[in-house]
Amino acid sequence: MSAVADSPVVELRGVHKTYRLGTHVIPALQGVDLTVQRGELLALTGPSGSGKSTILNLSGLIDTPDSGDIVLGGQRVNDLTEEARTLLRRDALGFVFQSFNLVPVMTVAENVDYPLFIAGVDAAERKARVAAQLEAVGLQDHAHHRPDALSGGQRQRVAIARALVKRPRLVIADEPTASLDSHTADQVLDLMRERCHAEGAAFVIATHDSRLTGRCDRVVALLDGRLQ
Amino acid sequence: MNAKWLKFAIANTMRNRRRSLVTVTIAALGTAAILLAGGFALFTYESLAEAQARESGHLVIGKPEQFVKDEETPLQYGLDDVAKLRAQLLTDPQVRSVLPRVDFSGLVSNGDKSVVMIGLGVEPDSEFSVKGPFLTITEGEVLGNGGSGAKGPEIMLGDALARNLKAKPGSSLTLLASTTEGSLNAMDVTVKAVFSTGVPEIDKRLIYTDIATSQKLLNTQKVSSLGVFLSRMEHTDGAQARLAAATPKLTVRTWQDQAVFYRAVKDLYNRIFGALGLIIGIIVVFVVTNAMSMAIIERTREIGTLRAMGTLPRQLLRTLSLEGMVLGGVGAIVGMLVALAVSIFLYTANIQMPPPPGRSVGYPLYVNIDAALYIGTALVMVALTMLASAFVARKTVHMPVVDALAHT
Ligand SMILES: Nc1ncnc2c1ncn2[C@@H]1O[C@H](COP(=O)(O)OP(=O)(O)O)[C@@H](O)[C@H]1O
Ligand SMILES: [Mg+2]
Repeated sequence: MSAVADSPVVELRGVHKTYRLGTHVIPALQGVDLTVQRGELLALTGPSGSGKSTILNLSGLIDTPDSGDIVLGGQRVNDLTEEARTLLRRDALGFVFQSFNLVPVMTVAENVDYPLFIAGVDAAERKARVAAQLEAVGLQDHAHHRPDALSGGQRQRVAIARALVKRPRLVIADEPTASLDSHTADQVLDLMRERCHAEGAAFVIATHDSRLTGRCDRVVALLDGRLQ
Repeated sequence: MNAKWLKFAIANTMRNRRRSLVTVTIAALGTAAILLAGGFALFTYESLAEAQARESGHLVIGKPEQFVKDEETPLQYGLDDVAKLRAQLLTDPQVRSVLPRVDFSGLVSNGDKSVVMIGLGVEPDSEFSVKGPFLTITEGEVLGNGGSGAKGPEIMLGDALARNLKAKPGSSLTLLASTTEGSLNAMDVTVKAVFSTGVPEIDKRLIYTDIATSQKLLNTQKVSSLGVFLSRMEHTDGAQARLAAATPKLTVRTWQDQAVFYRAVKDLYNRIFGALGLIIGIIVVFVVTNAMSMAIIERTREIGTLRAMGTLPRQLLRTLSLEGMVLGGVGAIVGMLVALAVSIFLYTANIQMPPPPGRSVGYPLYVNIDAALYIGTALVMVALTMLASAFVARKTVHMPVVDALAHT
């Protein structure tokens, strides 16, 4: 128990990842070692194509490395079956996407409820947790709206609520502000920071917007698949 | 839990209303077509079965040879002592009546010319009351049991035969036939009526007379066979077993054994409508599959998002097949309602079909409403659309999450 509690949220050890496009070989990550501590807000910066998304996908268990280890909460996850990885994502990981990726046929409340619904949490508890998350992101009055009735900033707030409702150890956010104007981007990042510290969940945010990195607990820069 | 997946599935069918509407419409038309064609086939089988049972009786009892061999002399394989056998058969509670029949053939002459005839000796009173109106009397009056009355023996003959012999009610004709001993016998008869069976080939040859007259012509006491009429069609098989056990030396055949035409039509229709149903089923599955694959491809990124959040592929397969089920199920329900409405309309509209080949009268176009056919068709439709949706979804729900998320 305490091993999990004390261990870093996620560790990448000597991770390599190569993509192949026909005969073209693209070395996306070339030996990355990275440790994300519990509850920290970590910014991953670097130019486009430097490997930020690749690191996030590996940490978020939606992709696998060619070599090196991914350790999640003290558990090496390289060799898990697809089903085990899916259940780990369901129970321990949250995702925030650049283009929000809310489900358009669900209301705001249903979107936030979805991770709890698939995890089989009982209805009364789901209701309470969804309400609390919506209140925390200031959208309690929009619970029954559809996502397409919301602004971009509001949608990303729903996505943050959806990522946090399951009380994850780690939230993966790939360019979460890239689709927002700078003022809204500031607000969304402030909200993430506040929610990160309030919930004790670690956030790893990939961004190429250097203005935002100042608000993060730690900044890691990436270039050509290597940490700087 | 399931209700929520279903709600999600229904909401997803509403995303592209026009596409869903087209899909549901085609599924509905397909279902209605299958139900109407199937209902028409069932109506036809039922009519033919009733006609056959009315014509031969639900069961036909005779000597075994009667059904398999050709007679060398008239009534060689006929039944003796019919009165006792009849009484015995009538003790069975499901037997409504037992009608004897004498099949014979010979010539009928008006003095100037002779024509080949097929004769049927029956008990006119019971024959026509039990069988109901199976002949159309075009002239004269139906035979009575007192056939050998004041005017002597009487017959009814088919309208084409009557025309051929220039006979009308009251005319005198002569029947010529071989007796059971092989000598030739002639008998003067009076025409009582002219009838039409609706089949010109038969109306050219057939005459009806009473049992006594036919037996006198053939110089015998025998009858060819007994037709057994039951109170209900469904009793046929049970009664056959019982009566066969009660009359071990005789053969008891069902109307179906006698019904060459019924079996031929049923066989043909089963093939035609079976092939039709298969083709329609394939079209419906194809259309639903097509709509679902478009819906799934459009939603690849959403599926990737749901997978990233921890949804298992089988959970997605379930909701996507529910979505196919909604399309197929709504289509099936609408199709059932359409078929029902058309069937009811036909019952009230009384539309006449033209006479089938070889017949001179048409028949009303009805389509049976058969619960088993409706339920079976709907279930098959729903099952097929579910399976087809799961089939087209399986690739997308299993594709790498990163690739699904990158899909534009
Ligand atoms: N699916 C892929 N197929 C081929 N090359 C890829 C794929 N994903 C990423 N890459 C390449 O890997 C490198 C790193 O990409 P990525 O991690 O997306 O960088 P970033 O998020 O920092 O822009 C880039 O050169 C990119 O072109
Ligand atoms: Mg990227």
